[in-house]
Amino acid sequence: MIEIRNLTKKYGQFLALDNVSFDVKKGEIMGFLGPNGAGKSTTMNILTGYIPCTSGTVKVGGFEIMENPKEVKSQIGYLPEIPPLYGDMTVDEYLKFIFELKSVPLNQRKRQMDDILYLVKIGDMKKRLIKNLSKGYRQRVGFAQALVGNPPVLVLDEPTVGLDPSQIVEIRKLISSLRHDHTIILSTHILSEVNAVCSSVVMVNHGRIAAKGSVSDFTASEGSVNKFIISVVGNKNAIQKTISEVSGVRNVTFLRVDKDAALFNVESSRNVDVRRPLFNELARASLPVIELRPVGRSMEEIFIDIVNNDKYVSETAGNERGEED
Amino acid sequence: MGTIYKREMNAYFRSPVAYTIIALFMLMVGLFFWVRNLLYASTDFSGALSMTSTYLTFLMPTLTMKLLSDERRNGTEVLLRTSPTPMWKVVVGKYLAALTLYGIMVALTAIYPIVMTFLSETGIPVGKTFGGYVGFFLLGATYLAISLFASSFTESQVVAAISGIVALLVLYYMQSIGATIGGTFGSILQWLSPLKRYSDFSLGGFNIASLVFYLTFSGMMVFLSVLNVERRRWQ
Ligand SMILES: Nc1ncnc2c1ncn2[C@@H]1O[C@H](COP(=O)(O)OP(=O)(O)O)[C@@H](O)[C@H]1O
Ligand SMILES: [Mg+2]
Repeated sequence: MIEIRNLTKKYGQFLALDNVSFDVKKGEIMGFLGPNGAGKSTTMNILTGYIPCTSGTVKVGGFEIMENPKEVKSQIGYLPEIPPLYGDMTVDEYLKFIFELKSVPLNQRKRQMDDILYLVKIGDMKKRLIKNLSKGYRQRVGFAQALVGNPPVLVLDEPTVGLDPSQIVEIRKLISSLRHDHTIILSTHILSEVNAVCSSVVMVNHGRIAAKGSVSDFTASEGSVNKFIISVVGNKNAIQKTISEVSGVRNVTFLRVDKDAALFNVESSRNVDVRRPLFNELARASLPVIELRPVGRSMEEIFIDIVNNDKYVSETAGNERGEED
Repeated sequence: MGTIYKREMNAYFRSPVAYTIIALFMLMVGLFFWVRNLLYASTDFSGALSMTSTYLTFLMPTLTMKLLSDERRNGTEVLLRTSPTPMWKVVVGKYLAALTLYGIMVALTAIYPIVMTFLSETGIPVGKTFGGYVGFFLLGATYLAISLFASSFTESQVVAAISGIVALLVLYYMQSIGATIGGTFGSILQWLSPLKRYSDFSLGGFNIASLVFYLTFSGMMVFLSVLNVERRRWQ
């Protein structure tokens, strides 16, 4: 649905996006994760046609943004970081204005308006001036605006920033309820948000892609680990045989000898935690395990690395999908 | 275009700014009516308009100062640029809204010549009054377009207003500057002066060339505003 290739953006001399490429498939909710200043808003602004890119291509539903801006824009509903609201209009007037701005056919307006007001839960606020609304309601009106015209693609720039916890839950519910008939890009600098609503993730840092893949590609911080390095003292062949007989283990490969221990790479079926049976079986065979650690890094690890060390990370759990540049 | 126009019209009448400007304008016209018509016992209203026209230099930029700058400041520019509506329609819609508000202001002043028609025994000089009105409206329309262009450079209302006033003041003095310099350049400056054309109208002469001049000048300025708004996207 969305194809971004080699996107580069310079603000003067400052390189805000450096050769960014990723895809978002139809029906996916993509979490666009990165610390502040990573280039999330810049990417979204280019994707929605707000600002031009320096080089690269952006295709939405087969149309290129610079070549067919109108076709691309009509497929996208955009909620920018700051909701684009007119304080001097009522919610009702504002949404009617958006319907006109997006040239939604007249006979669809009434129904869509009712649907949107219901979905976003702002029906009670219809007659209020936007400037008198609370932050949470303003965000919802901004959201409603993005839904006008029922665009197949939704681009949401940090939709939960500045909201209180119950409002955050509401907005996340709303996003989840839209997943059936929309392709959604959602940017955030909060990791848990990705886990809460997204099916895939692209991590950015300093304008470059740090990692990407489907959320299930990343090893979670606990459980469902599927790759380990195990270090066992004893006869190499005996160890290999014992490990391979543990149920759930798919593959064992010898890595190297380290002092008196042998290191093996163990792969298990996904969603089966083989660590306990592995430990028990080896103990029963009098083959002491001196180390067992998962390989492949969790989203948390990568993200924490980005935030703390501020360094460019290219490794993901789903490695081959990790990066292209 | 109609969408933006409607929004801007509503916005004008929801803010105290429009009412303040209209009140100020009417006060001014009333004052000059008193000076030119009542004190001098004249039924020619174009004189009062002519005196008022000087102050359009300050009034017109206050009508346009919000139009483009507010969209940038409020972040609503994103909305306009990411909608399928092209920017030229947005800018033209805004200009037409300002023009309509100005038109309403001008129409309100018609009360003075109308009252004079009933009160004076000789009646009013219809041709001259009408010419005066046409010129006054065209001059204001041009001023609006110029101040719209000036406002397309900034996201601050204050800067928009001030730069509009400065631009109009330069134009205001262009005729006298042209006259002082003399020569070809001087006459070009004079030819370009919107004010000089206005005096033609208020003398009762309806000059097609001047009409075309005003329309072209305004059109150019609106066009340049569109270009400027588009250009900024690339920065
Ligand atoms: N209009 C601009 N001019 C210059 N630099 C900008 C502009 N917009 C963003 N930047 C810079 O580009 C980088 C990425 O910004 P942004 O895309 O807003 O990041 P994010 O949304 O991930 O927080 C930041 O360092 C920011 O300072
Ligand atoms: Mg941002």
